[in-house]
Amino acid sequence: MERRPWFVFGDLISNVLTGALAAALAASLAVSELGMIGGMLAGMLLGMLLAMLLTTFCLSVFFGAMEVMLPCMLSGMLAGMAPAMWHLGVQQAMIRGAWIGLVVLAATYIASMVLAGSGRE
Amino acid sequence: MDFHTQKKWDRAAGTFDIMAGRGPERRWRPAKEEFFAAMREDANILFLALGTGLDIAYFPARRHITAIDISPKMLEKAVRRVRTYDGSIDVQLMDVHKMDFPKESFDQIFTSCTFCSVPDPVKGLRALYRVLKPGGELHMFEHTGSRLFPYNVMLHVMTLVSSAFGPDMDRPTVDNVRNAGFEIIRVHNLFLDVVKTIHARRPF
Repeated sequence: MERRPWFVFGDLISNVLTGALAAALAASLAVSELGMIGGMLAGMLLGMLLAMLLTTFCLSVFFGAMEVMLPCMLSGMLAGMAPAMWHLGVQQAMIRGAWIGLVVLAATYIASMVLAGSGRE
Repeated sequence: MDFHTQKKWDRAAGTFDIMAGRGPERRWRPAKEEFFAAMREDANILFLALGTGLDIAYFPARRHITAIDISPKMLEKAVRRVRTYDGSIDVQLMDVHKMDFPKESFDQIFTSCTFCSVPDPVKGLRALYRVLKPGGELHMFEHTGSRLFPYNVMLHVMTLVSSAFGPDMDRPTVDNVRNAGFEIIRVHNLFLDVVKTIHARRPF
């Protein structure tokens, strides 16, 4: 598991930021007007697209490659679905999106800790 | 020579150090130092793909290394780093699928984030098998696909975009190594089951 402060900080900021922005983007484009399923689908795609752009051209340059991209894609996808799922306004969506980013990061750290180390596959 | 792949990496050469040289390299530094420490002083070593030479910083001193890459633009950028290495690096422009080294030329082969990009990975690995001596070692530092949901789905989605201008994110590299005839000795996960080192051997 990553313990160096710079990278832990980077993971945290990356996922919280991606989650918050993805949810805010989905909410501000009023994806919930597409209905729950349509809105979740549109938000999911928007969130993933935003996460991919944000991580590839900005966050991963400072904080790492797969370690940043992969959880942020997941954070973006789930956070993008949030406004349609819970009918959230932009501000509420940002807060919910940030929390989603935190939860995804925690889950990724736990999964990485479980899988870390050696084994003969 | 695979000119499509060559063009793709020539295009990437201009921004490669900015994209990969800071965050990713700093993050992987401890793992890469440990990984490249396995380069033996008495061994004839093949390294692929050299790229802009970012990995040279981790090579132990006084090793005899042949390094190949498919992209001349990448190799142009690597020249400065090759010159500063305290040892010998023979750089060659070569496609891994069509290496013209005699068979059983090398004692050790090292790859670093290479087989996410080789167009036909099993064919490429079979080419490595051919030039590796029986009992010779293959050491790989790679990012691969995952077996863990939902990360595996994410990696497939990312590959739809990334493969157009860079690497695939969802390769089953450990299986590919085995399918090419190597014996897997050790797989060490560094991040999830995605970033890992693979130590394999060509059987006697």
